[in-house]
Amino acid sequence: MTTSSTDAPEALDDRVLDFPLGIPGFPGATHWVLTDLVEDGAFQLLQSLDNEELSMVVSVPWLFFPDYAPNLADGEVEALGIESAEDAIVFCSVTVPEGDAPPTMNLLSPFVANRHTRVARQVVLDDDEDRIRTPLPLGA
Amino acid sequence: MLVLTRRPGEAIVIGSDVKITVLEVRGDQIRIGIDAPRSVKVHREEVYREIERTNADAISSAGRAADLARGGRLPRPSRARVVPPQDRPGASDDR
Repeated sequence: MTTSSTDAPEALDDRVLDFPLGIPGFPGATHWVLTDLVEDGAFQLLQSLDNEELSMVVSVPWLFFPDYAPNLADGEVEALGIESAEDAIVFCSVTVPEGDAPPTMNLLSPFVANRHTRVARQVVLDDDEDRIRTPLPLGA
Repeated sequence: MLVLTRRPGEAIVIGSDVKITVLEVRGDQIRIGIDAPRSVKVHREEVYREIERTNADAISSAGRAADLARGGRLPRPSRARVVPPQDRPGASDDR
């Protein structure tokens, strides 16, 4: 299935997500919470509730890449219990390298959560490894 | 590590529902077929390790990234694409 950026208006409630498998490299970090970093919602902090030292900046990929069309494997869709694109919350990590290199977004393995159950996974879309560090476009 | 020798066309079964078949050997490349339940994730190792590394990098740069984001010094999406609070990632669905 292809997910889309279509988001229905909803009540803002708690923003805890359950990652039963953790995330690659941090298998024990199964509970994370999203908090807004900036008022306009462009960036969030994904903070581990299991280890306070684990957090990363994330963003909705479509803000920067309107044509992004992550195609989730059937197995991922099944595991997440997602039935339609509207069920999915999708966001990607942002990395700021040291030095002058531009900030990058990981478009290869976005985080996908089921909006209703709050179950989430970091999925792997394909083997196009270049997308793992996609520079954030300036003035998108 | 368990080491087994297989010929093309022969397979290995792991547990009750994962089967790995050696399809073809051509020079130094070996084509492998994997039958596994959809719930089992299969990755080329280097891709998986790269994702681990990128997660570690995102975590180690979180403080810097958060400071830049708060200071408006990360690239910004256009105003038209600003996300209303209820549509931000993690917003709950209690309709």
